Amino acid sequence: MEAMERQIRLTVNGQEHELTIRDNTLLLWLLRDDLKLVGTREGCGTGVCGACTVLLDGRPVNSCLTLAAQAAGHHVTTIEGLATNGRLHPVQEAYIEERGFQCAFCTSGFIMMTKALLDEIPNPSEEEVREYLSENICRCAGYPDILRAVQNASRKLAARGR
Amino acid sequence: MRPFKLLDPRSLDEACQMLDRYGEDVKLMSGGTAILILLRQRVFSKPYFINLKAVPGLDGIRDEPGTGLRIGALATLRAVETSPIVRQRAPLITETFRLVANVRVRNSGTLGGNLSHGDYRLDPPAPLLVLGAKAVAVSSRGRNTYELKEFFRGLFETALQPDEILTEVVVPDAPPKAGTAYFKYTSLSETDWPCLGVAALVTPSDGGGTCGELRVAVTSVAERPMLLEHLGPLARGKRLTERLLEELGDAAAERVDPIADARGSEWYKKEMVRVFVRRAVREAARRAGLAAG
Repeated sequence: MEAMERQIRLTVNGQEHELTIRDNTLLLWLLRDDLKLVGTREGCGTGVCGACTVLLDGRPVNSCLTLAAQAAGHHVTTIEGLATNGRLHPVQEAYIEERGFQCAFCTSGFIMMTKALLDEIPNPSEEEVREYLSENICRCAGYPDILRAVQNASRKLAARGR
Repeated sequence: MRPFKLLDPRSLDEACQMLDRYGEDVKLMSGGTAILILLRQRVFSKPYFINLKAVPGLDGIRDEPGTGLRIGALATLRAVETSPIVRQRAPLITETFRLVANVRVRNSGTLGGNLSHGDYRLDPPAPLLVLGAKAVAVSSRGRNTYELKEFFRGLFETALQPDEILTEVVVPDAPPKAGTAYFKYTSLSETDWPCLGVAALVTPSDGGGTCGELRVAVTSVAERPMLLEHLGPLARGKRLTERLLEELGDAAAERVDPIADARGSEWYKKEMVRVFVRRAVREAARRAGLAAG
């Protein structure tokens, strides 16, 4: 059998990496185990909870169901990539201001989904927020605060002129 | 997850040769959302997978006058959902695809992967069945076109041969003035897999007032998504009264052989088929400008 490893190039949070990975490596494992970016969490492992959300070329995907080999050559953004020059991203600030978390296990996923949502729809209706985030699960059930955080983030980004 | 070798073909020809060469030891992978769950749970494994995402040019979406929509098998569900040309030519597809799983899954999962997986709990087959879609497959033997209504054969079983690759879905234009609707019913949480899905297409008859063509497909109920072709003749030329809608619901329920699962017993799913066929036909008729009920 041929080698089950490969060399890939992957840009993570703006930084290019050259990595040797096994073909069956999930993007989630690569981020957490190899790159030590542990802000991305594993919840259900089946694509329905959203804790492992990262952006692949700007689009949200489940890193728990994405092969690192298939992400090769693309740009990945994780929760660690949102802050710039030591300053939190407006979406992160909004989650803090609205207390949009309790235990915070789901928070990276919610923040990455919120970033993707607001990139796509800058001023979403409540229904659009609910639909977009409908399969991000918060077991503390802090949903009303999360909803307010998204609305707050939308206002912050509008004020900043994006 | 068991180790495997991911093969990266640079062309469709090369992918076909890999299928021929590795035979039983290989499976195709596109977005991976469905197959990676099975691999992670170790209910399925293969020593080799063919990475179809390595093949360029399989994800196009275009409208070909006289033929219809041609959607590449590697187009993601989200790309299909948000395509302006799909919304314009086949709003039923847009309406259905936005209800599939979640944005993340739709960003990874592909149309071809969805259909070839052959899972009975999928939404996309229903609208494609009522629109009369065809699935185009290639192999080193040549090209093959399947009517979608003959594509789904059983639980996780399609008409695709082991050496074939689904490359494209062709969706003919709906008949003029057609009204369409998709109803997804989830019996557990709202974002769960469907307990059942019903797609309906209704056209008004030439004189207006009565039903011309009626097409109904159900998914997630039985072991495969089905086009219920016996319903059309029951409605043709008739007013879609509440009584006729009930007859259609009953006739649909009689024909399906539900799989009992966490989302409902056999009896319950039959009852829900009755209800949702009625609702879907009523709504499609309303959108076709026909008074129903």
